[in-house]
Order: sequence, then structure tokens, then C-alpha cells
Amino acid sequence: MLGEFEYLLITAAAGLGGKAYSVAIRKEIEVTTGRRCSIGALYTTIDRLETKGLLKTWMSDATPQRGGRAKRMVRVTPKGVQAAKDFYDAVTRVSRGASWVVNRTGRA
Amino acid sequence: MTSAHWPWVEVAARLLERDEREAVLGDLLETDEGAWQGLLEVLGLVVRRQLSYWKNWQPWLAVFGLALPGSLILMGVSVSVSSMYERLINHGILMGSSHAIHEGFLQLLCRGLLLIGCSWACGFVMGSLSRRTLWVSIASSCFACMFCLVRFGEPSLSRLCLFLFLLPAIWGVRQALRLTRVTLALAIFLAIAITTLMILPPNSGGFWTLNWSLVWPAWYIVATAQGAGRAVGRN
Repeated sequence: MLGEFEYLLITAAAGLGGKAYSVAIRKEIEVTTGRRCSIGALYTTIDRLETKGLLKTWMSDATPQRGGRAKRMVRVTPKGVQAAKDFYDAVTRVSRGASWVVNRTGRA
Repeated sequence: MTSAHWPWVEVAARLLERDEREAVLGDLLETDEGAWQGLLEVLGLVVRRQLSYWKNWQPWLAVFGLALPGSLILMGVSVSVSSMYERLINHGILMGSSHAIHEGFLQLLCRGLLLIGCSWACGFVMGSLSRRTLWVSIASSCFACMFCLVRFGEPSLSRLCLFLFLLPAIWGVRQALRLTRVTLALAIFLAIAITTLMILPPNSGGFWTLNWSLVWPAWYIVATAQGAGRAVGRN
């Protein structure tokens, strides 16, 4: 099963689609969670997920706004999509009946 | 990112692998992080990377199975070879018979070849086991060398005698880093040669048993060279 940060990363990458690369994913996670995301955490997690076959990465062509340096592009694999879906389902199931969920839906 | 501080970030990023360095430096330029923040980000990634390498057994074996004990034992063999040479030159030639001198030179040759072979094999295996953590293995080896250098107390020999093993060991490490292909035939030849030379006299009393721990790197090379000349050193 995925970890919390792994789930966030896969979900952010999946949402960005063909534009998913390190900086974009990092911004997406920071904006969504309101927490700072370090480059170290991001890159080591990307590597771990790629080793598990949940992500695929490759180096893009160099771009001028990055000082002529390449981007590390990310794509979520079908196995990654399934792992994220499993995580989401598990969180949804375990959250049923939790006070905050009930309060949020106004059924308390 | 101010240009004045950028070189520090680039220096720190050299500790990363090429593609990752490229991507990280590009990220920092694109997001226009402050210099210190950029440096911290790079160092944070470097620390995480270095720590992740130690989840495998290879770096541990390289440090505690080779660099530390191997350096100590090889320094012992270096001193043994130097003593043998010194005895042969100072005493053997002056007082010994020609038969004794020939025998002495033969023993010295065997011991010297053993030192070179073991040092090369240790260096090669150390380099191939711990390419990414090689600096720790080298630091451990230097620590062992300094320890012996400080405690060396043989008045008739120069302290440099301790380090006869260094050149072949460095050669072995360099070969491993260059991904030199070691064929199975060559690996077997090296392992058999080292084992045979280890069996041959003269032995150095109690140290002789300890010296046997220098044989395993050569057989490790044989084991990893199997598979039709697969390159050794890709760990």
C-alpha cells in the first residue's frame, strides 16, 4: 500500500498529465496541502515509485528558462493508477463514520 | 538565485548523479530559490541519497569486510615483504650461500606477487561493491593507515613500507570504476594464483591464518565474473 506522500505525488502527477515534471508536481503538492515539499523528499519518492513500477520518468530536452537544463518528466503507469485507487478506496472505507466526515457532509 | 552563490550550489550538486544534478539545478533556476535555500535543498537530497545506499549490504561489506580489515592485513603483508627484502639484502647476500640467496629471492618474489594480487583484488572488489559510497571505504582505509602509521615501531624499516599495497589497490579500484570486464578465465587464474601463493611458504606465524582472509575477494571476482564474461562492478 502507498504512503501518504506517495499518494499525493501520484495524484498530482496524474492530474498534471503530460505536463507532469518535478517543479510542477512540487507546486501542486504545496498548493494542495499547504505544506512545504523539499526537493529531497520529492526526488527520492519519485525514485522509489519508479522502482516499484508505479511511475515512469525520463529526461526532457533542455529549456532556456531552466538555464539550458533538462526537466525530469513523470508519467503514472497503469499499476500506479491502480495503487492510488486502492489507497483512496482504503482511506474512504476507513473514514466512514468518522466525526469529521459526518460533520462535513452535514449528516451528524 | 544570485550568481555569487550559485557556484556553491553547483559544487554541492556534483555529489549527485549527472541526470539528477541536471534536473535539480534546473528546478532551482526555474523556481528562483534563494541561494541558501537552494544549497539546503541540494544537500538534503545528497544526504537522503547517501543514506539510501546504506540500505544495501554491499557498502557495509566494503567498509567492514574489506577497507578496514583488508588495509590492516595488507599493511602487515607489506611490512613482511619489506622485512624479507631487508634481510635478504643486508644479511643473505653477505653471508648466505648462493642456494640460500636464490631461495630467498624466490620467496620474496612469491610474497611480492601475493601482495600485489591481494591488493588489486581487494581494491577491485571494494570499488565494485561500493561505487557510490566509495568515499566512505577510502576514508575507512585511510583511518586504518593512519592508525598503523602512528603505531609503527620497526626502526630498521621506513614507514613507507606500510604502504606497499596502496598502488595495486588503487589500480584495482580504478579498474572497477572503469567497469573493466573481467573474464571468467582471468578471474579464475587470479584466484588460483593468489590461493597457491598463500599456501606456499614462508608463512608469518600467526599472521598467516589472518592472511587467508585476503583470499575471498579474488574468489568473489570469480563468482561475479560468471555468466559469460559479465562486467563486474555494476553495483
